[in-house]
Amino acid sequence: MKITIPVLCALFAASLLPATGQPSFEGPMPDRHVVTDANVRRQDYNRRADEVVNWYAAQAKPGQDLGVGQILAKLVRHEDEPQVSQSVIALMKDPGTGPFWMFPVVGISMLGQDQLSPAAKKAIRDMWRTTYQVRGDTENHWLMYYTSLYLIAEQNPNEPANTWYTGKSSAENLAEARSYLISWMDLTTTVGQGEFTPTGYIAEYSIPLLYLATWAKDPAMRQRGQMMLDWLYAELAENTLNGVLHGPNSRTDEREVVERGNTAASFYCWLLFGNTVPPQAYGGFGIYFAVAAKNYHVPDVIYHIAVERDRDYTQHDLKRTRRRWRYSDQLSPPVYRTNYTRKDYAVGSIQGGLIDPIQTHVWDVTWDVPDPRGVHNTIFSLQPYSANRSMQMYFSAYPELMIPNLAVEGKPSYDLSTKVIGSSPYEQVFQDHDTVIALYNIAPGTRFPQVNGFFSKDLQNVTEDKSGWIFAQGGKTYLAYRPLAGYHWEKYQHRDGGWAKEVKDLGDKLLISPHLQNGTIVQAADESEFKTLAEFAAAIRALPLEFKLAPEPTVKFTTLRGHQMAFTYGQTPVLDGKPVDYADWKLFQSPYLNAEKGSKRLTITHGELERVLDFNTLTITDRVREP
Amino acid sequence: MKTKHKLRWLAGWALLTSAALAAAPAYDFYLCASVNKGYVTGSKITTVSGLFQREADGTWHHIGYNDMSIAAAAFDPRDHNVIYTAALNGCWRTLDGGKTWRQTNDWTITEGRDIAVDPHAPDHVYLALPDGVAVSQDRAETWTRRENGLPERGKYTQTIRVDRSQAGRVLAGCETGIYLTENGAESWRRVLPTTDTVDDIQQSYHDPKTWIAVTQSAGAWMSHDGGATWAKLDGVPSEHTLYNVTFDPRNPQRIALGGWDAGVLTSEDGGKTWANRTAGLPAPHHVWRVGIDPDNGLLYASLTKQTLFTSADFGRTWKAGPFEDSAINNFISLPRAEK
Repeated sequence: MKITIPVLCALFAASLLPATGQPSFEGPMPDRHVVTDANVRRQDYNRRADEVVNWYAAQAKPGQDLGVGQILAKLVRHEDEPQVSQSVIALMKDPGTGPFWMFPVVGISMLGQDQLSPAAKKAIRDMWRTTYQVRGDTENHWLMYYTSLYLIAEQNPNEPANTWYTGKSSAENLAEARSYLISWMDLTTTVGQGEFTPTGYIAEYSIPLLYLATWAKDPAMRQRGQMMLDWLYAELAENTLNGVLHGPNSRTDEREVVERGNTAASFYCWLLFGNTVPPQAYGGFGIYFAVAAKNYHVPDVIYHIAVERDRDYTQHDLKRTRRRWRYSDQLSPPVYRTNYTRKDYAVGSIQGGLIDPIQTHVWDVTWDVPDPRGVHNTIFSLQPYSANRSMQMYFSAYPELMIPNLAVEGKPSYDLSTKVIGSSPYEQVFQDHDTVIALYNIAPGTRFPQVNGFFSKDLQNVTEDKSGWIFAQGGKTYLAYRPLAGYHWEKYQHRDGGWAKEVKDLGDKLLISPHLQNGTIVQAADESEFKTLAEFAAAIRALPLEFKLAPEPTVKFTTLRGHQMAFTYGQTPVLDGKPVDYADWKLFQSPYLNAEKGSKRLTITHGELERVLDFNTLTITDRVREP
Repeated sequence: MKTKHKLRWLAGWALLTSAALAAAPAYDFYLCASVNKGYVTGSKITTVSGLFQREADGTWHHIGYNDMSIAAAAFDPRDHNVIYTAALNGCWRTLDGGKTWRQTNDWTITEGRDIAVDPHAPDHVYLALPDGVAVSQDRAETWTRRENGLPERGKYTQTIRVDRSQAGRVLAGCETGIYLTENGAESWRRVLPTTDTVDDIQQSYHDPKTWIAVTQSAGAWMSHDGGATWAKLDGVPSEHTLYNVTFDPRNPQRIALGGWDAGVLTSEDGGKTWANRTAGLPAPHHVWRVGIDPDNGLLYASLTKQTLFTSADFGRTWKAGPFEDSAINNFISLPRAEK
């Protein structure tokens, strides 16, 4: 097939990963105390960044060419310059193409400005002339591509078109890259990110933005990089539970929705907030961030949102779908996200429908655990949608080739009936506080006409009640799961990450409900609210619930919190008699993050601390509010 | 940036073609090949992909940059050293036969699907895009969107062809049908509605009023009035995606088309009847492209994940050729007299 592949984990970087663990990954969980002293926090942050760099540098073997991560680490440490230069020359003899190759080379160029030999610098510069670089086809690709082109053009100004693979001069490359980067920032700060709350792809956003903040010569672009990092990490802070990203994601994979703490997002929580452990090998891309990490300062207000919360809170955010090329009336329809976060669990969702064709996670309950390593601390359901036509909506591809190619290009589960990631045009979701209603109205003839419910190995006391509810406990969270149609159980067959070929039985189960008209209701509660799980179950049984599946699935449910949720597939959900007004949805609305749609202005708040990111004026305003 | 890379055909095949090509070729014959071998964005390319030209001895040599994403190429009829490619990055252009290239577009244009040059106005270039059509009137120095008459949504454009008999007359194959402009894309009108993408449109070498189109789910269609009206070809099945179609430059009655599970279908009576010519090709018959060598009539079939296959008897027998594990995205025939 053509190169228009929905991409991807970084094969390039992954191939360079050392195989063993590293100190913080293998060490104990950090305690959860809040570090109030900003200087101490800064020292801790720097120490963690150093850990990554030092560990990578330690993987180098004398006499052998270094990998990209090792080169970067050595450059940061200003050591072994002859070996580094020699390795760069060797690397440039067999260059890669595309954004995943480009940004690490930019890192080498910037860090090596005063260290690399003239021959090594020439090898890099020649590469930008001779090697065609593919731009890719996703939001993260383009951010990496244009950030790389921007920085390398800025580093090599006033050079003619024939010295660049684009056939454009330095000035032309710079102008094009700048135009795109500003356009992307404008879009993200007005109607939301397309690849929102990414589990793994947060690295693909963090690294280029950090590089802009660090190395852009234009102060305005440096400021933009800094502000977008704040924007990204404010969201990360708000959407994590003690360092574990929860709720829906536009781009993710099986491992990251099952073992919620085992994602690149955890690397950033570890590095920025110090409240969890990093994934193995620092998430693969961690080294690329770590080498410039000291050029970014986590604002106090963002740190406190991540680690110090004094209340339960609901957030409503606005995002957008991946760009739809065809078979849709809208280019990029809005996505409405709800997250309800409590001390010991969080419930999050988007409204359903097709969001991204390949790697979406639509809703879940994620509960807190003392140590997330190896724990599957989540419950959710989905319709395992797989269709050529949806691929054609989002990719400039012919219908038949996409699905078989996905299996070998990093998405091995896409065409499996038992998959646990993906959005469906036949799923609609309505959430209020810690209650989720997911309705399914699957068209006849749909591939995989079923609903999959994920039941973790780490759930305790799973009980199928005569009432039709299934009760269980995850951590300190009581859970009630109500399938609206018949079901059976199957073992969950796990594929660990995008490129894994191996299928593992990790002990999880899938509730398979093979009915076209279907639904799931989940109600969560904290164990402190009830004396026992049995008492929780009794309370759930007593809740008013009416539902029918034909002609369309419809549910009327009074939640544990006393709210009346009325939801019919294909209709606007109704809460306490009032239809949900999505048109009124703001870009961010919560106790911590607030932004009007279209405003380019985010207010970040925690207690008395406030930071305002205003992209209209490119200003950051910090203030301390009156208590 | 030029690379030149010869791919040797299988020994037997080379003998066959060298005999067939003993006379000086009247055409320049090119193809766009994507040789994947596990490439994903960011990884190192271990293969050579992109534009290839068939030489007189039957070998293929690579022209220009190494890119798996080249979907199509077009040439300036006045000078075949001026080449335009439609690729993932948009449109690349060389003015020196592939030695140097320029990405002609900015970020607002991406994922070029097809490209065509107006032979009567060779500075005019038409680029098919996932979100419509862009037109250049200065040899791709600058691009302008020209989509008046195309639907706001539904203008995914897979294929674009210029009518060689009339300047500014262009047909575009979109997700909602075939659209026609007769004024250089100032305005478009739909001449054939479809519910899925039109994958290819071709003009007969022998009768400029005769056109043929293939679609994703509506079979094949033929026009005998320059694309103004279309009639469905009953002999071509609709249940499979048809990827492309080609007329035989040497024989007005011969047409070939290829598609997913459809294999190779040929007609030797101008499209009235069709024969399945899949026998001898490896299963599954996921035919990606067919092409006909204008100098010797050899029929080519590109199957996904296979080599390029060739037939000297218009599909009755096949031989495996070069380009292992490839997808050929485009065949281009250019009369040398045009130069």
